[in-house]
Amino acid sequence: MQQSEAQLKAWMTDGLDGDAVAHAALLRALVPLLRSFYRRRMRGADDDVEDLVQETLISVHTRRASYDRERPFTAWLYAIARYRMIDHFRRRKVSVPIEDVEAILVAEGFEDATNAQMDVDRLLSTLSPKQARAIRDTHIDGLSIAEAASRAEIGESDVKISVHRGFKALAARLRGEQS
Amino acid sequence: MNTDQLIQSLSANVPAVPRRALGRRIGFGMTGGAIITLALVVFILGIRPDLHHAMLGFSFWMKWVYTASLGIGSVLAVARLARPTPTSLRWVWLLAIPVLLLAGIGIGELASTPSSSWLAMWLGQSWMICPWLVLSLAMPIFIGLLWSFRRLAPTQLRAAGAAAGLAAGAWAATIYCVHCPETSAIFVLTWYSLGILLAAGVGALVGPRLLRW
Repeated sequence: MQQSEAQLKAWMTDGLDGDAVAHAALLRALVPLLRSFYRRRMRGADDDVEDLVQETLISVHTRRASYDRERPFTAWLYAIARYRMIDHFRRRKVSVPIEDVEAILVAEGFEDATNAQMDVDRLLSTLSPKQARAIRDTHIDGLSIAEAASRAEIGESDVKISVHRGFKALAARLRGEQS
Repeated sequence: MNTDQLIQSLSANVPAVPRRALGRRIGFGMTGGAIITLALVVFILGIRPDLHHAMLGFSFWMKWVYTASLGIGSVLAVARLARPTPTSLRWVWLLAIPVLLLAGIGIGELASTPSSSWLAMWLGQSWMICPWLVLSLAMPIFIGLLWSFRRLAPTQLRAAGAAAGLAAGAWAATIYCVHCPETSAIFVLTWYSLGILLAAGVGALVGPRLLRW
């Protein structure tokens, strides 16, 4: 469940005022946000993703004083997340292909992302559960075909076909909505 | 440690963070360093004996306004760079204003002085050590700022290091004024500025390494 900017900011400010419960709620709510942030950029290194999520939580906690209460919370959060990832690559001396740099540097539009997610949810709900799940696993959560297949306990070709048919149905529906 | 345990242990200790925590943190770091710098100037270099008299004159205040205005501008830049979100630093060029003003005063001085004594006025008595003293005296303040940054989140490390070096240099020069007996504007413009720039350069050089988090 993704929390809104307003809710996250409220938890953050309460935490800054010393409310440990709000602070814990904030950190818990950040976990899925950060996971999807890193998963989209790291391409399937799940251990690294979890390490980065934890490092980012620690940074959010120890460097809270750098947050300006007058400004959006998620902008601050993603600036820290981006720094953590660049530092991660630097430490591992990983070089990043130039076409991926754009994906790393792209600013996270929280509002846009939330709206887009609502659109995607609405569209996927019109598909069969199996197709919706296959698309969600492979194209939103970033799993490989093999991972998606073993998670859903179906064959790999079944996943591929579900994705393909699902997209076809979505395309037809979108064309229908427009005309 | 799994993520849930981590969150539990992190939220076991949630001290309140006041609204102006960032400014306060930078202020503490700089003040701590500045006290050491002041102690070094007072106890090792010595306060200039005619300080009372000099404080009535123009050149003392000219030096102070010059170094302090650079100091204020660079501390504002440090505060901006201590937050992770990108910010525009275009206004940093305003720091050129005190430099240009001082250059104007310097040109006036040169015009009213016979050219035979220009060299003596420019070099003063301490040109060889002045920049190095400013650079050394900047170190305690720079270290204080490194301490400040430990709870803050700079993401442009080279720029943050340079700004911290500039701030440390400018405030060190401000403190150094109570010792330094030089009076001419072109002396200050050259040798003070050189010391401050050296400090900024050192900051830019070590920033990416020392400010990493």
